[in-house]
Amino acid sequence: MSILNDKVQREKDQVRENGDPIGWDGQMLQEMLAETERLTEETGYYRGLEELELKEEDRFQYERLFSRLRGALVSARETALHVSASPIVREIGELCFQIYTPEGDCIALSTGIIVHVHTGSLAIKWMIEQDYEGDRGIEPGDIFCNNDNDLGNVHTTDVHTIVPIFHDGELVAWADGVTHEIDIGGAAPGHTSIVHTSRFEDGIYATCEKIGADDERFQDWKVRGERSTRTPQYWDLDEKCRIAGCHMIREAVHDVIDDVGVDTFKQFTREAVEEGRRTMESRVQERLFPGTYRNTSFAAMPFEEEGWKPEQQRDRLIHLPVEMDIDADGTMALDMEGASPQGAHSFNAAEGSMTGGLWVSLTQCLLHDGKVNDGSHYAMETHFPEGSITNPDDPQLSFHAPWGTIMPTFQSVWQNLSQAFFTRGYREEVVTGYSETSDTLQGGGTLMESMAQLIPDEIGDYFPIGPFDLSCQGLGASAVRDGLDYGYAMWNPESDMGDIEEWELTQWGTQYLSRQIKTDSAGHGKYRGGSGWEGIMTIMGTDELTLYKGAQPDVTFSIGGMSGGYPGSTKYTVRAHDTDLQERAANEEPYPIGDTPPGTFEEDVDGDIVRHHRGNYFPKEFDNYDLVHFQMGGGPGWGDPLDRPIEKVVEDVEEQVYSPGTVESVYGVVGELDEDELTFEIDEAATDERREEIRARRREESMTYDEFYEQERERVEEGDVSEPVATMYERTFDISDEFAETFADFWDTRGGF
Amino acid sequence: MSTDDAEREPSLLALDTGGTMTDTFVVDDGANYTVGKAQTTPEDESEGVMRSFADALDHWNTDLDTGSRSLEGVVYSGTAMINRLLEREGEEDIGLITNRGMEDQLRFGRGIQSWADRSYAGRLHAREHEHPEPLVPRENIRGVRGRMNMSGIPTIGLYEDEAREAVHDLLDRGVRVICVCLVYSYLNDDHEQRVKEIAHEVMAERGEEVPVWLSAEQKPIRGEVPRMNTLVIEAYAAEPSREQLHNVRDAFRDQGSDAPVRVLTSSGGTVSPDHDWLADTMLSGPIGGIFGGEYVADELGIDNLVCSDVGGTSFDVGLITEGHYPTRWDQSLAQFLVNIPMTAMDTIGSGTGSYVRVDHTSKRIEVGPDSAGYLVGASNQDADIDTPTVTDCTLLLGYLSPDEFLGGDIPLSLDDAREALEREVSGPLDEDVHETARGVLDIVERDMANELRGLILGLGYSPENYTLISYGGGGPLHAAGYTRDLQFQDVLVPQWAAAFSAFGTACADAAYRYDQQLDAILQPDFSNAPIVASDVQSTLEELEEKATDAFERDGVDPDVVEFQPALRIQYLGMLDDLEVAIPPEALEGGFDGDALRTVIDRYEEKFDQVFKRAAKSPENGYQVTMAIGVGVGPSAKPDIPEEPLGSETPPEAAHKGERDIYWDDDWHAAQLWQMRDLAPGNVIDGAAVIEAPATTVLVPPGFSAELDENRIYHLTEDDQ
Repeated sequence: MSILNDKVQREKDQVRENGDPIGWDGQMLQEMLAETERLTEETGYYRGLEELELKEEDRFQYERLFSRLRGALVSARETALHVSASPIVREIGELCFQIYTPEGDCIALSTGIIVHVHTGSLAIKWMIEQDYEGDRGIEPGDIFCNNDNDLGNVHTTDVHTIVPIFHDGELVAWADGVTHEIDIGGAAPGHTSIVHTSRFEDGIYATCEKIGADDERFQDWKVRGERSTRTPQYWDLDEKCRIAGCHMIREAVHDVIDDVGVDTFKQFTREAVEEGRRTMESRVQERLFPGTYRNTSFAAMPFEEEGWKPEQQRDRLIHLPVEMDIDADGTMALDMEGASPQGAHSFNAAEGSMTGGLWVSLTQCLLHDGKVNDGSHYAMETHFPEGSITNPDDPQLSFHAPWGTIMPTFQSVWQNLSQAFFTRGYREEVVTGYSETSDTLQGGGTLMESMAQLIPDEIGDYFPIGPFDLSCQGLGASAVRDGLDYGYAMWNPESDMGDIEEWELTQWGTQYLSRQIKTDSAGHGKYRGGSGWEGIMTIMGTDELTLYKGAQPDVTFSIGGMSGGYPGSTKYTVRAHDTDLQERAANEEPYPIGDTPPGTFEEDVDGDIVRHHRGNYFPKEFDNYDLVHFQMGGGPGWGDPLDRPIEKVVEDVEEQVYSPGTVESVYGVVGELDEDELTFEIDEAATDERREEIRARRREESMTYDEFYEQERERVEEGDVSEPVATMYERTFDISDEFAETFADFWDTRGGF
Repeated sequence: MSTDDAEREPSLLALDTGGTMTDTFVVDDGANYTVGKAQTTPEDESEGVMRSFADALDHWNTDLDTGSRSLEGVVYSGTAMINRLLEREGEEDIGLITNRGMEDQLRFGRGIQSWADRSYAGRLHAREHEHPEPLVPRENIRGVRGRMNMSGIPTIGLYEDEAREAVHDLLDRGVRVICVCLVYSYLNDDHEQRVKEIAHEVMAERGEEVPVWLSAEQKPIRGEVPRMNTLVIEAYAAEPSREQLHNVRDAFRDQGSDAPVRVLTSSGGTVSPDHDWLADTMLSGPIGGIFGGEYVADELGIDNLVCSDVGGTSFDVGLITEGHYPTRWDQSLAQFLVNIPMTAMDTIGSGTGSYVRVDHTSKRIEVGPDSAGYLVGASNQDADIDTPTVTDCTLLLGYLSPDEFLGGDIPLSLDDAREALEREVSGPLDEDVHETARGVLDIVERDMANELRGLILGLGYSPENYTLISYGGGGPLHAAGYTRDLQFQDVLVPQWAAAFSAFGTACADAAYRYDQQLDAILQPDFSNAPIVASDVQSTLEELEEKATDAFERDGVDPDVVEFQPALRIQYLGMLDDLEVAIPPEALEGGFDGDALRTVIDRYEEKFDQVFKRAAKSPENGYQVTMAIGVGVGPSAKPDIPEEPLGSETPPEAAHKGERDIYWDDDWHAAQLWQMRDLAPGNVIDGAAVIEAPATTVLVPPGFSAELDENRIYHLTEDDQ
């Protein structure tokens, strides 16, 4: 088979004729990788580049090259988007392209979801270490695919396409494109399943596989995709999109080499990585106050009742401690010693997943000028303990929903960084945290016959459910202002709720009955967190439909607010089966448009209503006219709520961010809300009185640190904590002597619980 | 060309009423033009307009009475509407009715509105995101239960009592207009229409009368948030200008002009001030150049033209491919998502006024995105600016004459430019100041070239397929730089580059555009083609009727109106559609299944062209997403100058002297030429600088510029 692209065909012929290693100057890739690691380790500079010769001698050519390469990545992304089909990729822009050095260090990346700076890097390094060069073969025109988190990925529904770029018989770079798939097969429909317990339920795994040669995908690979996902059409179009983008990047690299020569190109790629390392160090020096910062996040998995498999039927709490050392020289270390062990659930997060979370966080606060690359990775040390939920050593576990671990963890990272920003004087950069992107529905179903007739057979009558309106959560407060309402996702700051008229066009059997502000979801504080929102969907026109819901924070907060601020609200579930919606609609009787205040949903519908303080449920069958509620959370607050100016509290009530009852109990502000006019009239005397009461109670309940410590120590000694808490610590002690010792030292106790 | 001091008869007038100044561009039948300026008079814009027109006429030694009578057309564009939106000074007391439970969607703005319009860094830096203040307060928004589904079938009937209550509530609150936007009304507007009927019943009972506007009547297009915003913006910012537009028209009538006064829309046509909806005229100014480009392309027989505009704050690019420029809906206005069709134009934040700085952490030069704008830069003696700009760099390199910037109106200081660049940029980097200045231009021009390359490749073409036209105050100065690495067929610099956008405005057609979302599914075997075709046919008939009615209202004979129908189509399941014109022959005898197949064939060809890297997917079937009907009426157009070609050697009288310019790491002696004294046929060899009061053309060493019979320079690199 010949390649349409002559240049690539010539490169392939040349590689075959030479029979030499494809690394530079006759080296094997393994030798190159080893040398790069050695030089970097020995000198502290990427590949020992103490001087950036190209940058210093011809600054403008260097900048032009950077701008051109980055331009090529952005333009590949824009073009490839047009041929992509899945609503997630198109509407939410869940697509990113990267370019890597031969040994797998990221040189530059496109716009889009930035979590993938280092994920492709891990996969490429893995292929090199496994000697793909000598064994599987790496040739011009080849196409590789990976979604195995353990080898380099964030979660299994992020699928990478990796294409080698050659010049004159040598591998000069790799292009990598990632898209987030709505479905990859698996035990439960959806893109972030809470149901899975092992790899064997996760769906398609491409483990750094060669899936094509001569620029074409292998037939057997295509057949596998077609037969292994619930949405083969999306799978296929998204793959075409990634390949098209990688090929555009390859063309751009060839053009650049034609213009400046291969030696300049090579020199540039090395220096760009080293420059990234230096930029990161300088930013840290400039903006963060040195020191050791500690925080701990928790993630709840209350699956005892809902779990399907015996091994997952437990109410788990996950321990996610984060210690960060920020050094005066600009280097930083992140240590998660003491994290809970891996387990039989889908929240297992590989090292690539955790570093993905790191880069997407740092690009939002330290590196948002967009010049992030693997150099930043070299400026930072990370320790994710092996065998823990942050770096499992068992590839047979499920890796489908590592966001369940990543999102809570990075609340602690953000609070640590916020302390460091604050101490340096950057009050405005403080981010107390965020609401995690969960609680929306996932699932899939088929259309009822009368409607399915309209849809061409090739498309089929299956529709996936996975709306990305979850990208609009509340952001935490800063130390100078309130958090952003309904507009933040930690993994992609370019949030988009999407129009209802777009989502229903792909999620055929569902209809939104509402999208409205969720009163009392925002974390309290002098500066409040951003507010969340809630929605109601009904089911219409389906033959069968399965839905489930993951929630975070579920039954417990992932983290508190800062400096006296409160966390945002936790989530819960309400749904109604076998309802009287049809009759109500016929008689113009009200149906639910929310659950504010909680408990009012039931007032407007009859049926089999399930309400639980738990935020999650496993896949359930839904029928036409069933109703389901979901909720996006609010961000944590900053500072003492009593310090919030009363006029801001009035605004909060008038904008329905808080209810009058809540502001009375938390802010001590008493007044009356006119619900039609949306005006909140303050009762000043009652307000003064209420605030004094709160202050008096605080004085009364306050105790010294020593008293508090002693009181809590007794609880620890007596094991006076809930079973999930005790188990969480005990299991952590099992895998970390270091944490067990720290814990025992701190509480001055021996033997855990 | 700018031809002052002679008595001439104006035939066309293009107006641009900005926040501070009102500009007029006047052309006569001989392609001569002049420009006028006056302060904008926001209370009654017609005053400033007439003063500005009088100022222009002054250059032609004529007055308003005489000048107005010969006018054949007046095209208005302005910033009053968009400024009203940006500055939140629109008219309030708007009531909004939407689906019950979805009243908060307006303020949610899909989340996107909190970061729309931000720079790349700003988009990533979530901490700085902020929602725009909603245009309608929550208490003026009421919800009514009921739902249409994605096929336009009412799955829950409209709750009429709730509608009645909503209308009462809004009237009680004293609203002056009631906007109605319900989900999927673009497919079936029964519920919206019923709300309107109920509103009229309620108002009759109460003896009150306020207008009721329906989103399905204004913009029957998918996307309830942009549809709702566009309707609200009509009430808040667009409609309040109607009186001003009538004033302008009356002022011309009072001067004895019977020329039609029309308003430029962002999709390329002009509409009467009496048009039902004015939202399409919200934003029009910067796009003028693209209409000018289309007109030039048409007149000179150029198929594919890149229009590039270098202004003070931005670099704007639009593509005309096979004679047409594409339209987009996915744009925002002052952070608000709207569904106003806009001529596709891409913008990057580098212009001549962009600030140049060094990031002290990364030691990188950064250009923009903020800009000194009309204050020019550190070299401007009349402004207090410390940070150097791109213009300061061009000045240092000898490309600009310090004494003749804008005809000498703004005195520039070379020393101040040098000092600022040394202090802020080259000093901290320890680089030579001139090398730095050139380096800055390299970065800016490389970004511009990347933008051009990306845009053209994105359409499935390459630069070799295109001619490029460069205009705007800075276009002719940077054209050589941003085109040198892209092999365009030709690079054009019109002598009237500085006024090209205004020229383009005067070129716009009198046109009414109507869009209707269809979302009709066509089976891959075409088995339901007759049904889909009949759906298309009846929709096109409705659109044509609307266009005809609009022209009849304007007093235009419907027989001279040309109807240009088009469909937007995609493979089912894909999310990007393409616009395909319906050939006139396909409409003869009605639009049937065969006609539909012809249009689908055209779609397939276009798909190949645009998305050639992707596989076609006809096996999935097709979706006809939208029908578009544009009625085009007769309108006067400016002429492009045409003069006999003379000698290649420029006249000695045009030679102004010599100045050193820096290019490709060295200084070169450049010949200076006076633009107005050059004649068609003259060839200017680089290094040279051609100077005019509002424009400077840089002809670098190794380039030449030939002036053709249309007074357009062709910039060529000699060894190409």
